[in-house]
Amino acid sequence: MASSLILIPLIAVIIFNLPIMASHKRLPLLFGVVFSLWQAWLALFSAGSLWGNPVFPLPLLSGMHLQVTHLTLVMYLAIAIAAGSALVICWYTLEDGNKRFDVINLILLAIAGMNGVVSVTDLFTLYVFIEVVSIASFILIALHKDGDALEGSMKYILMSAIATLMMLSAIALFMMTTGSTAFGEIAHALRTQPDSLLRGTAVGLFLGGVFIKSGSVPFHGWLPDAYASAPAGVSVLLAGIVTKTTGIYTLIRLVTAVFGFSAHLQTLLLAIGALSIVVGALAALTQTDIKRMLAYSSISQMGYIVIGLGTGTTIGVAGAVFHLLNHAIFKTQLFANAAAVEEQTGTRNMDALGGLAEKMPVTGITSIIGFLSMAGVPPLSGFWSKLIIIIALWLSGYRWYALIAVAASVLTLAYMLSLQRRVFFGKLAAGFENLKEAELGIVLPAVILAAISIIAGIAFPFVLHRLILPIAAGW
Amino acid sequence: MNTQSLLLAAVFFPIIGSCVVPLAGWISPRLRNGFSLACVLSSLCSAVCLLPSVFAGDITSVSYSLPLGFNFILTADCLSVFMAITASLIGSIIVFYSWGYINHYKNQHEYYFLVTLFLGSMMGIVFSGNLIFLYVFWEVTALASWRLIGFFREKSYVIRADKAFMITMFGAVMMLMGFITLFQQTGSFDLANIKNALGTTPAANLAVLLILMGILSKSATLPFHTWLPDAGVAPAPVTALLHAAVLVKIGVYVYARLFIATMPIALPWHTIIPVVAGASALISAGAALIETDLKRIIAYSTISQIGFIFLGLSTGSEIGIAGGLMYILMHGIAKGGLFLCAGIVEQNMHEKNITKLGGLFRTMPITAIAFLLCSLSVMGIPPLGGFFSKHMVISGAIAGGHPVIAFVFLVGAFLTILYLLRVFTMVFLGDPQTPTAEEGSPTMVISVSVLAMLSVAGGLYINYISTPIEYIVKQMVR
Repeated sequence: MASSLILIPLIAVIIFNLPIMASHKRLPLLFGVVFSLWQAWLALFSAGSLWGNPVFPLPLLSGMHLQVTHLTLVMYLAIAIAAGSALVICWYTLEDGNKRFDVINLILLAIAGMNGVVSVTDLFTLYVFIEVVSIASFILIALHKDGDALEGSMKYILMSAIATLMMLSAIALFMMTTGSTAFGEIAHALRTQPDSLLRGTAVGLFLGGVFIKSGSVPFHGWLPDAYASAPAGVSVLLAGIVTKTTGIYTLIRLVTAVFGFSAHLQTLLLAIGALSIVVGALAALTQTDIKRMLAYSSISQMGYIVIGLGTGTTIGVAGAVFHLLNHAIFKTQLFANAAAVEEQTGTRNMDALGGLAEKMPVTGITSIIGFLSMAGVPPLSGFWSKLIIIIALWLSGYRWYALIAVAASVLTLAYMLSLQRRVFFGKLAAGFENLKEAELGIVLPAVILAAISIIAGIAFPFVLHRLILPIAAGW
Repeated sequence: MNTQSLLLAAVFFPIIGSCVVPLAGWISPRLRNGFSLACVLSSLCSAVCLLPSVFAGDITSVSYSLPLGFNFILTADCLSVFMAITASLIGSIIVFYSWGYINHYKNQHEYYFLVTLFLGSMMGIVFSGNLIFLYVFWEVTALASWRLIGFFREKSYVIRADKAFMITMFGAVMMLMGFITLFQQTGSFDLANIKNALGTTPAANLAVLLILMGILSKSATLPFHTWLPDAGVAPAPVTALLHAAVLVKIGVYVYARLFIATMPIALPWHTIIPVVAGASALISAGAALIETDLKRIIAYSTISQIGFIFLGLSTGSEIGIAGGLMYILMHGIAKGGLFLCAGIVEQNMHEKNITKLGGLFRTMPITAIAFLLCSLSVMGIPPLGGFFSKHMVISGAIAGGHPVIAFVFLVGAFLTILYLLRVFTMVFLGDPQTPTAEEGSPTMVISVSVLAMLSVAGGLYINYISTPIEYIVKQMVR
């Protein structure tokens, strides 16, 4: 079943690009939305036994072992939510029919890649799928081919090239010392001979690559440029899920299943997490561009996930994964709101905006829900994941880190309140008297996502039982 | 209805009802106004109906076990029912007064939604038997008050709203850390389990410190008090009232619930807290003396009076605690009356600088008398309600062995008399400075009269209040 989540979008892209399909321009969008819904449904409600049987026993995949853990299911859900929203928003924010078509195809490709990333069980295949996602993202960022877009994309390519180099060297070192790239065998080798210098180097190199991909401080330089210069719908995809899958998910999976926790690694994770939280939040405070502010806030929120992972406890990892899922929900939604604002007003400069809630009530209200969920205000879902992370930190004795984490959540509130004040709340800025709400295709995803934030927050026992606690139990 | 459904109704009627309020508003504004009042009144009725059973000594509780110790528990005992009645009574009057006040402004759906939600989550705080859900409801009230303070959308108001939200949020997350420390110490977030696990062992000092930061920030006590005068200036007086009469009481209530009814605290706290409260009461009374903005004066006076409540609760003597609880009720009513009178003055005169007002007694007699009665109650002049509570708090301080602090509070009480008389003279007596002025709308005048009469009745029929309060205190300290 896991293989079909990778193959169906891949095959679909090939079919859509056949000459006979040229007249069906809308079909890819329809397919993408239906596929996302189906994937979300599978992740939430399917029985565990479903995932054992490959429906496409293709020779192509004979050397590739897929494994669906509870963590994978959460990621399937997050990918479906974020990518599905991105598809719709891209469609409605782009004017040019050909660009629309290209973007939808590239996003489908990225979906296939991300589903691959979260399902594989060996390092080399993991690397291949990460590259699939990255290449799709490079093109998506540079879509408009203007100066900013090319610069953002170029930065991403350069940083990714370094990350690639580090990951490939690490894989080579593992191959050299253990003769395999499978997770299980590397984990076994690391456990039996923990002192091997070569393997230690390999672990360090791979982690370095992953940190770059995830945009953690101090490897975050490319991220705000890439998010801000991308077309509105693409930044939804990038911020909501792409860097989280290629960077953060990979980190969580490798640390829990392959590299294992050691005191040094935990210190490193806690330090990078705390640094990302604080630097991201402080940088976000000073921004005037909506998308740049949201990008820095992404860095900050990634810090919470890394710091949760750094506790090395099951509850901490569960909290981290929960926050990853929540982040996919509220950040996708906030970028959707930013897309609506940019689409209707033509600017992202917060100082030129103000009082938009009066003219764009739906965008205004949903963005409040999104930012409150991000700041960890109950009863929204973001509160519960932050709470679990903080409880894990406090109970495992990292009290100062816990204090940093909660103090930074007040900073989160500070910059999001300033965004609200400058864009939505307050008196209507001059020149926007005839402003209208964005079209349904942009507003609807935001409404659905805000509703998910509320419902998941109130029905948090269901989310915990169904998705999150099995991860803690199974690890 | 059995007691459990009453308990659920008291909390969830207004919370769920608040989401229906905007829908009702689309049908007709009248329906919306009535529905909103009905939601708050249903809380009041449910709490009143719970009275017989809790005073018979039964404790009603509803609990659902949820993962990670985040159990959803509502508990009704004497203290919570008393607090629920106080809050929903004042809340009902606020909503009624709003009918006359808010109908001149935009975004009324939002207003009624927020007020109802606020009062509903206040019920949630009062009845919550689990620390995590206490925090959840606590933050929902912060959320509602953020939006209410910034209700008029002027930039300066919105900035003040953001300030209030951030200060209370900071306190709240610190409190959350305190809760987690307690969880570490006792292994549970449930108040009943915490009480059993601790027995007579004092709670960890770190936990007490962190939780106090939350309580002081919500109750606008030194050093986290700065948001309250700002919140009092910016928005509608209704909102200001909501904060002065209801919101700040949340912190005081949680103090009583946690540190008196649930867990013992180490000895030094019994000196530290009265000292902080005393400093807060004196400094803000001084600020109230020099302010010229009507609503800022009343806001500073609130901070000062909250100090008295903390003093009463922290003395550790039964009479002091009883005085503190009675103070919550009397101050809520009298301060509510003052704010609503200020609202009438501001709406009719478009002026809240007391040096530019004067002689309003002739044109607004009912408002003036209501203002005077409520001021007398806050000052603690016999036979009004405020006298008895102030008397009990100060004798509690002496009984608890803090004669110096009791003296400081006497000075505070003297300052209260000074600044309230100053306000009354400057606004209502003397020569009229502006020609046109008329009495407020009927609903507004009725509301202030009711509050003034309640202040008087509270003093005259003090027996009917003091007996149950003594019973509550017995149940708390047991």
